[in-house]
Amino acid sequence: MVGESRWVQWVSHLILGSASAMVLLPLLWVLRTSFADKVVAYQMPPQLLFAPTLDNYRDVLLRFDFGSFFLNSLIVALTTTAIALLLGALAAYAIDRFRTGGPVMPLAILATQMMPPIVLVIPFFLIFKQLGLADSHLGLVITYLTFNLPYVVWLLMSFFRRVPRELDEAALIDGAGPFTVFWRIVLPAALPGIGAAAVLSFVLCWNEFLFALMLTGQQTKTLPVAISSLVTQQGTAIGAVCASTMLAIAPMVLIYFAIRKLLVAGLSLGAVKG
Amino acid sequence: MTTATIRAGSPGRRRNLAQYVFVAPAVIVLALVVAAPLLYSIYLSFQEYIITYGMGDFAGFANYLAVLSDDFAHVSWVTLKLTLLCVVFEFVIAFGLALLLNQPHLPGRSFYLIVLMIPVLMTPVAVALMFRLMFNPSLGIVNWVIGLLGIPPQGWFGDPSLALGTVVFVDVWHETSLMLLMLYAGLKAMPGEPVEAARIDGASRLQILRYVTWPLMKPVIMVTLMIRMIAALKSYDLIYMLTQGGPGKATETISFYAYRLGFRFLDIGQAAAVSFILLIVVTLLTLVLLRTMREN
Repeated sequence: MVGESRWVQWVSHLILGSASAMVLLPLLWVLRTSFADKVVAYQMPPQLLFAPTLDNYRDVLLRFDFGSFFLNSLIVALTTTAIALLLGALAAYAIDRFRTGGPVMPLAILATQMMPPIVLVIPFFLIFKQLGLADSHLGLVITYLTFNLPYVVWLLMSFFRRVPRELDEAALIDGAGPFTVFWRIVLPAALPGIGAAAVLSFVLCWNEFLFALMLTGQQTKTLPVAISSLVTQQGTAIGAVCASTMLAIAPMVLIYFAIRKLLVAGLSLGAVKG
Repeated sequence: MTTATIRAGSPGRRRNLAQYVFVAPAVIVLALVVAAPLLYSIYLSFQEYIITYGMGDFAGFANYLAVLSDDFAHVSWVTLKLTLLCVVFEFVIAFGLALLLNQPHLPGRSFYLIVLMIPVLMTPVAVALMFRLMFNPSLGIVNWVIGLLGIPPQGWFGDPSLALGTVVFVDVWHETSLMLLMLYAGLKAMPGEPVEAARIDGASRLQILRYVTWPLMKPVIMVTLMIRMIAALKSYDLIYMLTQGGPGKATETISFYAYRLGFRFLDIGQAAAVSFILLIVVTLLTLVLLRTMREN
């Protein structure tokens, strides 16, 4: 029995280790190449030891102005997240506690969240041209609300469900108004959930591509669009592409390590629990 | 608003009114940013509208009939193949890893979890660029590595017979994490007693998996598969970044086809029609998904 379980453990580590290597190796390869100069980056067979250089990062930040694209991503993601949380928390609370909108409501929210972005990008493209919202932060925030608001509502519904009903019912009986109950009692109790929703909403916006590709221009380009245009402009500027890829991933990885537990709870809850 | 506020009727009535006030902002915003453009898009799909010529006449179902051509059959087939291949590979890998991670005494569990979760948070653009670099026929490391094993260099994304498979590989790398996360969370939330009881009764690992874990996990598995399938049907980002639907049309998905019609051929009417067909399929699947969730 002991022998068998040791064998199983050995195989487990072999499989899990290989899977981890599959995830890590490409990332490490890009990280390595982001510090390589032009000669080394193009060299095949690859050179593993070389004098690292920061030229690629300098190039990306100064010559290609990635600082401002980084800022665009930040502005749009933060604004969208703030609006989605504010509206989403109120709605999610009412839907969870009072079944507002009946059985249609959850369906409408889920269907909205699942909607293919290509369906909306076509009308938005035309409408924004008319309204002068093309290439504006506001325009992008509007389009991001289409998937973010339903996502936040869905996520928070499942977090509010875990706050015991007795808490708010007791407060209501004591004479507190519905808004007070929400603000003073339910919201604080669901604070970790709100945090998870905030982070996940931010990540969703940060990584979005199709809307940003079609609806932004030089002024409001987000990071993913900037990186994608780097490829077409520069042929294969390997080093710069690697450096910009690292810059796009870095904030997400930092967020991830800072609040891993919260995030895992949020991701799985929002996805699995109805 | 505190208890000092003037009371309008009984607490019950206030609560009733309040719920609508709570929901209203979100509903109004969604009506404006989702419902309005959606209705406009449906209208466009019945219009003859090519950007360079401007809005034409009412077209009836002409756009739908035009797009339901050979191309549509082809892109639907590609989308279906891509979706099924991705979902199957991702599920098998994710479920296997989740089971391994869920073993009671596993040293290094948190290390594995941290590493295996990284792809979830990456933008598809970054993932695609990473693999474009590595699969580059002349400069990529992959061809060099397989060269060490004596395999001749491949065209990968440029090879019609390999392109879709390579895209699937990248998608699996990117999306398995999310599935793993959902399945692992499901396993952890599973009651421990049935497995324990089966073990005491002398059931083997495989028997426990087949007769205890699998039935208990079935609802979570169904939901996970549905969510992933709906997402995969919408594939656009990776296609745009990796192959632009090529070589030829070998990796062109429905979303990319709609994009190409609308923004390359500037035929808004037909693009809207294609996107609307996709929307119907996705909405139907979402209905199934919701029903599955309710049954849990």
